[in-house]
Amino acid sequence: MDGGHMNLARVIDGHAADSPAFVDGGRTVGYGELRARVAEMRSALADRGVGVGSSVAIASGNDGAMVVSLLAVLSLGGVVMPLNPTSPTPELTRKLDVAEPMMLLVGNAGRLYLDDDQISVEMVDLVELDAAASAAAGADAVVVSVDRPADAVAFHLATSGVSGAAKVAMLSHENLSFVHEAMKQCEPSIHSGDVLLGVLPFTHIFGLNAVLLAALEAGACVVLQQRFDAEESLQLVRQYGVTILSGAPPMWHRWANSDAPDDSLQTVQRAASGAAALPLGVFERVRERFGVEIGQGYGLTETSPVVTLARGAAIKPSSVGQVLPGVEVALVDESGEPVDVGDEGEIVVRGPGVFLGYLRDTEATESILSGDGWLWTGDVGIFDEDGYLFLVDRIKDIVIVSGFNVYPAEVETALMGCAGVSGAIVTGTADEETGEAVVAHVSGTATREQLEAHVATQLSRYKRPTRYHFHEDLPIAPNGKAIRRALR
Amino acid sequence: MGRTAPFHFESAPELPGADHVSKYLFGGIRNLASRLWHFEIEGRDNVPEHGPAIIAPNHLSFCDSVFVPAALPRRVWAIGKGEYMDSWKTKHLFPAMGMIPVDRSGGDAAQAALDTAASVLDSGHLFMVYPEGTRSRSGHLHKGRTGAARLALRCDAPIIPVGHVGTLEVQPPDTFTMRVRKPVTVRFGAPMWIHEYGDPQDPRTLRRFTDAVMFEVAQLSEQKYVDRYASKDDTPAAVSVANVDGTSNAKGVDRAEHVRITPRRPSVVGSSAPSAPSRPAKISRPTGRPSELSADGPVETSTPPSMPLRESAKHHPRRSRAEAVRTTKE
Repeated sequence: MDGGHMNLARVIDGHAADSPAFVDGGRTVGYGELRARVAEMRSALADRGVGVGSSVAIASGNDGAMVVSLLAVLSLGGVVMPLNPTSPTPELTRKLDVAEPMMLLVGNAGRLYLDDDQISVEMVDLVELDAAASAAAGADAVVVSVDRPADAVAFHLATSGVSGAAKVAMLSHENLSFVHEAMKQCEPSIHSGDVLLGVLPFTHIFGLNAVLLAALEAGACVVLQQRFDAEESLQLVRQYGVTILSGAPPMWHRWANSDAPDDSLQTVQRAASGAAALPLGVFERVRERFGVEIGQGYGLTETSPVVTLARGAAIKPSSVGQVLPGVEVALVDESGEPVDVGDEGEIVVRGPGVFLGYLRDTEATESILSGDGWLWTGDVGIFDEDGYLFLVDRIKDIVIVSGFNVYPAEVETALMGCAGVSGAIVTGTADEETGEAVVAHVSGTATREQLEAHVATQLSRYKRPTRYHFHEDLPIAPNGKAIRRALR
Repeated sequence: MGRTAPFHFESAPELPGADHVSKYLFGGIRNLASRLWHFEIEGRDNVPEHGPAIIAPNHLSFCDSVFVPAALPRRVWAIGKGEYMDSWKTKHLFPAMGMIPVDRSGGDAAQAALDTAASVLDSGHLFMVYPEGTRSRSGHLHKGRTGAARLALRCDAPIIPVGHVGTLEVQPPDTFTMRVRKPVTVRFGAPMWIHEYGDPQDPRTLRRFTDAVMFEVAQLSEQKYVDRYASKDDTPAAVSVANVDGTSNAKGVDRAEHVRITPRRPSVVGSSAPSAPSRPAKISRPTGRPSELSADGPVETSTPPSMPLRESAKHHPRRSRAEAVRTTKE
């Protein structure tokens, strides 16, 4: 940081030119070559009018072109909006309509968009642009990144957000940079010799900041994987000696149950999971098979994203870890009064990682961010005596039966434990007698009688579902989160 | 049960109330309870004949500490303020009822109380604690503190949920005398074990178990449950007695027997967390987020300015918890 000015693109400065920055499709690219490619891309984008404050959307998988282009846009003082290259066009255009970027860079994974006349934003073929930049790039270059105020917007990230509707979060250079600095204070931190698997999508804050940018800032190497494939991931881990492996719970589930050899993770020193709750069974299976303990973290797009993480102390399997240094976390009741340790409360967060607000949506911003910087997450958690955080559920998903809180996640876990259940989502519905009643949506072969008999051994009476609905498929997001609102 | 039910005055020389005076005093109280009131006891078989157990009743009146011990088939101990031992009125009576005085002037009084409670259970006796932490002024059953669950875990003892009805009419708030010939019913539920509620090292298990106990207490006491802690500021229950006019006519009765066993430390972590155990200020709420609850129900919120909004900007206000509260037995 320079007198309140900075630029996130400088994460690639200062590392040895021949030190590997990323591996893309079997080819290792050093920091020198990366800087040279960013410098060339920067010129090309400047020629197309990208400058300070320009918003540029990038629809690409995790490949070299995406890494180079997002750094180039940042370097010019622009704002990057990474977009999922496999989204259906209407979803993509909804996000583009909110952010109104000046152009959309279309990477290899999103090529179909190029011929889609429903997209009105100017589209540029990122594959061509990157090929030209690569061809022109020398062995190294100095990237002159413009100074930006620390609180200048660096990213526009589309998020389902705390309140459920699609929104675009504005994150500053300082927001993301703070997380890198704070993570360095947590042992083990990322070092220049580390190798990370880059399989979490860089269109999501977890993959973008806690994997890609944090790794580049530390001078480490990211092995890019464009599309998740469990066997291929583990092959890459073995081939490149990955030391830090981060994944979402469904990835861990598939790695745990893959046919790969049991020594596949022998180089892994740190394993991390985030984005959704990691089932205890997956933690145990990974530990048993690979000898690795997964540390869970907790965060949101709106917090860049790290709020808590496994900080090197003993891992508690069901916990999402301890608070990141420099971040304040309180658990509060409805009035904002902190609850006692051991009681559940809404997680509220304050710190340099908390975002600037939602783009062109003051009302949404003011519904979660207080004037003095506290972000009300809508998540319910409990601290234990050692300061480890345990997540309970989303506050608005709580079902209240006869005045008692029923957390759908607990009921879902109980249902999933019944033989023949492949998926379970729990919601609430109005009930004349008890205020609300617990409703189970279940997929699989289990019958109502089997489910009732099973939950009777697992749950207090008021938590047991009184209504059952059976489905072929349930709405579960790719990161493993149940989309309960789809069933209400 | 009109006559006195069978009772075992178990020997506990290491605990208060082991002397003969206590034995006769307590026997007299039990006799009086069944003669002066229409005293009904249900589910007495749920209390184990031997070994430790935590007796967890609802708490409406000062006289709960008379009726619940009188309904048990065995002696029970509980924690009380050390100050009771300074008064001639209470220094014999309360230990006879099973009160163990704890000095609250020390550094960590809650820990001292918890240790004392654990020693009672570890010796194989019954220990009574009100999970609401204090008397319910609202008449509803309030959220349970996790102290009883912590004790259950530490001492590997079951919790016996207890619900009673009628004590509020016998001794309304702020009165010193007990009105005779009123009906009082004490009901004991089946023993509950914390290990059946999840990983005991997980703080969520303590809360889950506590809530489950409170649910059973609500069933037994026929009270409406409200998911917040009992507070002195709660609106008093409407009790049909002559002298409930908000004035206290018995100094000291209100601040009765409450020695807490649940440690209380605010859930705040981070750079501005106070090092002293004082409570940090309230966290400010986002201005755009409606405040749904006050102590007694939904609060009126100012209507947001009526401006056209995109679909994505609409509020998703949380349901009011108070709206969903219903009695557990209607």
